Amino acid sequence: MEDIEEAEGKERPSKRPIWTGSITIGLVNIPVKLLTMIYDKSVSFRFLHKEDNQPLKYQRICVKDNKIIPWTDIARGYEVRKGEFVVLQKEDLEAARPESDQRIRIDKFVDYLSVDPIYFERTYFLTPDKSGEAYRLLLTAMEKMGKAAVGRITLKTKEYPALLHVYKNALVLTTLRYSYEVADPSGLEELSDLKEPSKGEVELAIKIIKDLSGEFSIDDYQDSYKERIERLIGQKLKGEKIVVEKPVKEEAKELMAALEETLKQLKTK
Amino acid sequence: MAEGLTKVQFTNLDKVLFPDLGLTKGKVIEYYIRIAPRILYILKDRAISLKRFPNGIGEEGFFEKDSPIGTPSWVQTFKRYSETAERDVNYIVCNSLDTLLWIANLAAIEIHMPLSTIGDFESPDLMLFDIDPEPPLSFDDVIGVTNLLKEKLDALGLVPYVKTSGKKGLHVVIPIAKGHTFKQTKEFVHQLGRYLAKESEVIVSEFSQSRDPGTVFIDFLQNSQGRTMVCPYSLRANPKATVSTPLQWKDLKKGLRPDDLTIFNVPKLDDPWENLLKFKQKLELI
Repeated sequence: MEDIEEAEGKERPSKRPIWTGSITIGLVNIPVKLLTMIYDKSVSFRFLHKEDNQPLKYQRICVKDNKIIPWTDIARGYEVRKGEFVVLQKEDLEAARPESDQRIRIDKFVDYLSVDPIYFERTYFLTPDKSGEAYRLLLTAMEKMGKAAVGRITLKTKEYPALLHVYKNALVLTTLRYSYEVADPSGLEELSDLKEPSKGEVELAIKIIKDLSGEFSIDDYQDSYKERIERLIGQKLKGEKIVVEKPVKEEAKELMAALEETLKQLKTK
Repeated sequence: MAEGLTKVQFTNLDKVLFPDLGLTKGKVIEYYIRIAPRILYILKDRAISLKRFPNGIGEEGFFEKDSPIGTPSWVQTFKRYSETAERDVNYIVCNSLDTLLWIANLAAIEIHMPLSTIGDFESPDLMLFDIDPEPPLSFDDVIGVTNLLKEKLDALGLVPYVKTSGKKGLHVVIPIAKGHTFKQTKEFVHQLGRYLAKESEVIVSEFSQSRDPGTVFIDFLQNSQGRTMVCPYSLRANPKATVSTPLQWKDLKKGLRPDDLTIFNVPKLDDPWENLLKFKQKLELI
């Protein structure tokens, strides 16, 4: 259970590239590797058979005759209307697949802060591939100017808009969402006729926000559900008896304060 | 708990038991902690029954006379044949703060108690007049009837105590000296009811009339072995989280509303019943 023991520490970057190619800026090429940077650390479970604790596996079952279908007999269908499919063979899909030319084509440089994080999808490390000097030069210049580079990359079967930017002395690449993948709030009825607040109200709200302003620190936030589950698993591993329901800390504290008072009263009675 | 203040391991403290008020089980336990000195005084040596609402008062609760499976060994119990259940029942006896907290942690919102103690289970140490109105009568009518009863009891030289039931009615309680039977207390309450029924249009004294609209029934039937009344300071399972609240007689005036006596303000009030069990009274049987 390595995960359990390492839960407190941060993930070390993987060494195996998921993609290799070059950053292309005009006529300049910088060979780079793309490494995994984001790890989903939420708790996940395997399904087991309750009676004998054996893991369950998924099978693909034909809805018509309930037979189990092997992968070799599987085609892909695009559902045009409910229950109506256009069938695509593996070869059709291969032919349509965007050709990865192993390039990250840079279109322009923009102010990093001008890109709305709404569009950010997933971030990867970019490391130099025997191109340390050029890589370092690009990194230094972008950092000095506070700029990010906008371009395109093809990963597996999808072409993405991408943003190259600096994160802690490394170049990273963030794939972006297309604008049509993000809904527009102007369609929300709840927002259509909100009343304009008065000047006094706005001033008060601004004062509250100012009072609560501070530096952003992501380390202030912890997944308490994950922590409890991991503690529970740790206890189970050690064979400790599990008390499933733990009190919420704050409430328990209030109870203990009340309890102390009452115990004092009972003593003097 | 780690702090060593109680043996009880509290669970599900954030479970909402009173959905209209958003009151959690943690708040219910806190209430019982704050009210503990008063309630333990009265519950001492009594075989109690619980009304539990594990999923909050939005769902049906259930009555429990038997100590449930998993009752810790340090909880005192009392085994006795129950005529209503027609079998032996292991009652919980709430003689310690830990037991009270354990009960509260079971989401036992209501605590009910018999009018006798385990030392002399078959004989009453309390006598109860349970005064209940039928619509369209209001709580003011109940107050009127109860003050009439008080005058009569005063005239007989008795010292009665009064509390709200936490619902629509009032309970008048008289602590009784040893040597009386339930038959006698029941008869006493019944006779006073009959007497008052002659004095007032609205008062009825017989069970058969107790559902007549526009009447106040002086219920004598609870004065029997195995019957219970809701314990003073017990919470009631209703949307306002009312409390069966002991009152000063001088506060029993028109305009008083039982809905105003709740989990929020009752712990701050004085305890008019703190000497209840010191004045055990003899009945001059009429």
